[in-house]
Amino acid sequence: MPLLDIRNLTIELDTPHGRVKALERVSLTINPAEVHGLVGESGSGRSLLARAILGIPGHNWSITADRMMWDGRNLLEMSPKQRRNLMGGEISMIFQDPSSSLDPVISIGDQLIEAMPSHQNIPFWRRGKKRKQTAEKWLHKVGIKNTDRVMSSYAWELSEGECQKVMIAMAVANQPRLLIADEPTNSMEVQTQAQIFRLLSKLNQLQGVSILLISHELETLSMWCDQLSVMYCGQIMESGPTSEIVERPFHPYTKTLLDNIPNYSGTMTHKSMMPTLPGSAPALQHLPIGCRLGPRCPEAQKKCVNKPNLCHKKNRYFACHFPYHEEQCNDDSTPSS
Amino acid sequence: MARYLLRRLNLFLATSLVLFAVLFIVTSQFPVEQRFALTGIQSPSAEQIAQIEADYKLNSGKFNQFIAYLQQRLGGNLGISATSQRPVADELASVLPASFELAAVAGFLALAFGLPLGILASLSRHKVTQHTIMAITLTGYSIPVFWLGLTLSLWFGVQLGWLPISGRLNLLYEIEPVTGFILIDTLISSSPYSTSAFLDALLHIILPAVTLAVLPFTVVVRITRAAMISIMEQTYIKAAEARGLHTSRIVLRHALPNALIPVIKNLGLMLGTFASYAIVVEVIFSWPGVGAWLVSGIYQRDYTAIQGGVLAVALIIIFLSIMIEVLHTTMNPLSRKELYASN
Repeated sequence: MPLLDIRNLTIELDTPHGRVKALERVSLTINPAEVHGLVGESGSGRSLLARAILGIPGHNWSITADRMMWDGRNLLEMSPKQRRNLMGGEISMIFQDPSSSLDPVISIGDQLIEAMPSHQNIPFWRRGKKRKQTAEKWLHKVGIKNTDRVMSSYAWELSEGECQKVMIAMAVANQPRLLIADEPTNSMEVQTQAQIFRLLSKLNQLQGVSILLISHELETLSMWCDQLSVMYCGQIMESGPTSEIVERPFHPYTKTLLDNIPNYSGTMTHKSMMPTLPGSAPALQHLPIGCRLGPRCPEAQKKCVNKPNLCHKKNRYFACHFPYHEEQCNDDSTPSS
Repeated sequence: MARYLLRRLNLFLATSLVLFAVLFIVTSQFPVEQRFALTGIQSPSAEQIAQIEADYKLNSGKFNQFIAYLQQRLGGNLGISATSQRPVADELASVLPASFELAAVAGFLALAFGLPLGILASLSRHKVTQHTIMAITLTGYSIPVFWLGLTLSLWFGVQLGWLPISGRLNLLYEIEPVTGFILIDTLISSSPYSTSAFLDALLHIILPAVTLAVLPFTVVVRITRAAMISIMEQTYIKAAEARGLHTSRIVLRHALPNALIPVIKNLGLMLGTFASYAIVVEVIFSWPGVGAWLVSGIYQRDYTAIQGGVLAVALIIIFLSIMIEVLHTTMNPLSRKELYASN
């Protein structure tokens, strides 16, 4: 049984320009103890998906889904209180924007200690000290050396990287079953990034923590993830085992992404154009109908104004009318929004 | 931090100096003889005239006169009151505690009821509750305080007869003033009827304190609500939720300290309005505080009392605004960041 099973999740945002479908019929399956990568450009709705899974929607969101199961339990039918009980303990999240995810008027140490698990089997007068020790232990694990200075300072006194490490410590300290890591290393230097990824994969291997790793760096993701989902503009383009996707992408978008990874072998001449997909990702209020990649897709035809259904081939999923794949999928041509 | 405090102290001194200068210029413009305006002695004898002229250096230039004026005032010599013939400083010392007491109780009421109501208004999902609270606070904000005071005393004091409408204490009780705060004095008094005197003092303070509390209460509710609504959408609140913290803990520990910052700032801005409302309330309820005393001084053309009252009230307001700013800085670590950057 998958740990998290989402079918056709749609998130609509109420904006001044009317209602927009920021996420359209997204499906995602995460098995226990797997590292699932979610790759996409910024603005493609990766963070929205993460927040919807966790259950902290914004005030102008409306979420609909055919199915949203967490370990056999229906997340959609849970009360906010039950959802809150899942957060922190079973699902936790590393936020993308570390310094603004920390309360500016409370010191880092207080917030960190607050997030540490409480040890119910220890007498209450020793719990505080124990939590402080746990907090320090986790700070060490994420690579912060002078814990006293970090714990006594405020969020704005630390660098983005340090804040991010603190957020990671908070998220992993409760040893959740699913860790949503939303760009966990985007403001760190390369060596620390490797250290954090090692920590995450150690958690994954030793404690069986499933990780949803969100990033825009396809190379990093392909290095650490078992499964990969590719997102564009709020739609899932392709999903499947990382090695197979990298080996043989079915979707034009995935193929372009893989083809356009810059290679540093020196064959490119000075100041030559980088190969990219023509055009740019559309703004939320000007989304194309049907497949949202349509206007930029090299393979697009008339049929692409209807949104392709997610097609299932062995363990691969892809949503395209004209995939790089011989046999036709049982793709129904009924128009669907 | 020390440097910051030093700068605030400097601000206090500079503003006070300006205040003294204004008072000095105004005193010379009063339509009475300058000697009388400065000291309050109606018909001085020859020695007194010589003494006054020596004290205030009335025969030398304006600048020297100002220096002498400063020396006298800072030395505690505020002259004598023309009506009571007592030193103005003594009178101030007897009326100021009453005003502080009233303001403290009113401020306490405003915060004790305003903050929870503001939080509730921000958390409530029902449009009806929100609009009701907003309508009530807007009404409270726009009611003129003199009308409110008169109406309250008419309802609760005269028609219902529940509460006394004037003074601080029933004349039956004789309480020795120790601190000047009647609520404390009645409690620590050793007289056998101190408990009933305390209850009586409590009844006396209800109407004026409620009248005075209405305006700051409404402001506190509105600002707390606005601040809480914007803060509850911040990422760090979402992150706190994502850590699985309980809603009450998030509100009290993460949102409220952030929401208090604008509340404190606005309270500081409101001090002047609050003081003038206090004067009106004191007059309406015959509260023997500095406001009522100042107004009676104005009616009686008691120029020394006017100067003393204006000086005391203005100095207190300047001092409290600076204290609130310091408090704002200590409560708001973010403003310390700006502090470091500017220094």
